[in-house]
Amino acid sequence: MTRQAFMARLREGLRGLPAQTQAEILADYETHFAEAGNAGRPEAEVADALGDPDRLARELRAEAGLKRWEEARTPSSAGAAVFAVLGLGALDLIFLLPILMGVAGVIIGIGVAVVAVFLAGVAVFAAGPFVGVPGGAGAALLGGLGVMAAAASAGAVLTIVTIGLVNLLVWYGRLHYRLLKPALEPQAQGSVA
Amino acid sequence: MPEGIEIQLKKGVLDLCVLALLSDHDSYAYEIAQRLADLIGMGEGTIYPLMRRLQTEGLVETYLQESPAGPSRKYYRLTQAGRASFASQKAAWASFARAVETIVGGAA
Repeated sequence: MTRQAFMARLREGLRGLPAQTQAEILADYETHFAEAGNAGRPEAEVADALGDPDRLARELRAEAGLKRWEEARTPSSAGAAVFAVLGLGALDLIFLLPILMGVAGVIIGIGVAVVAVFLAGVAVFAAGPFVGVPGGAGAALLGGLGVMAAAASAGAVLTIVTIGLVNLLVWYGRLHYRLLKPALEPQAQGSVA
Repeated sequence: MPEGIEIQLKKGVLDLCVLALLSDHDSYAYEIAQRLADLIGMGEGTIYPLMRRLQTEGLVETYLQESPAGPSRKYYRLTQAGRASFASQKAAWASFARAVETIVGGAA
């Protein structure tokens, strides 16, 4: 592969990353070619030694996605981290997908339930004093508050569990970086170490 | 897979090797890649995702320095956290290597 072809495929693979990150990464590899050129190595040999640009781009994208999650724990960065890990395309991660979707479904389900319980608490709190409930208005107010508090703490626990699960996935994804291609794994393309 | 264990071993100590090279002297990516390619047969291109990760983790930082040939180079150096991480990884590696040698070295 020529230097140009390598850089073009790398650039293609990095699409979607922040412009500055892309520029930094591309500059790193341009420098690599320049240094190798100064050392008198032919471009094609350098490109081969660098490895598959598509794979390198996947790893760099994954790293960028995981970095976003580590900098800010928001729902969108959690999504970015999950996609980053899946983007690595490792086979067993694909098998993980149904489980992931199941877990995501359960989390969303519990989340909806928590919100519903919280709203029910609000309803009891607000309407209780006006419709005769057993125990009187005071009990309705206290009961409503109690339900809201319970829902809020369940929501907090759910958030902590979700963050923990995404962290686990990030850790698992990092474990899967196939960093050593191609020099170490010349032909074992499909095998996941 | 006969080469499987070798790959996994190298993967496990790659971070440690980069930290060790940088603890000796600051360096730039091309030089690190060359040394690791020569010494442990690492793919050259993989140094860049690795260096970005070490940077994200705050173990290394970069600075620019004039090079005798051509434009200035991006040098990497260990941060305080990088030195601490290297020291603990080095100790862990030494005791692990000793333990494995005790078991494997004794077997025929």
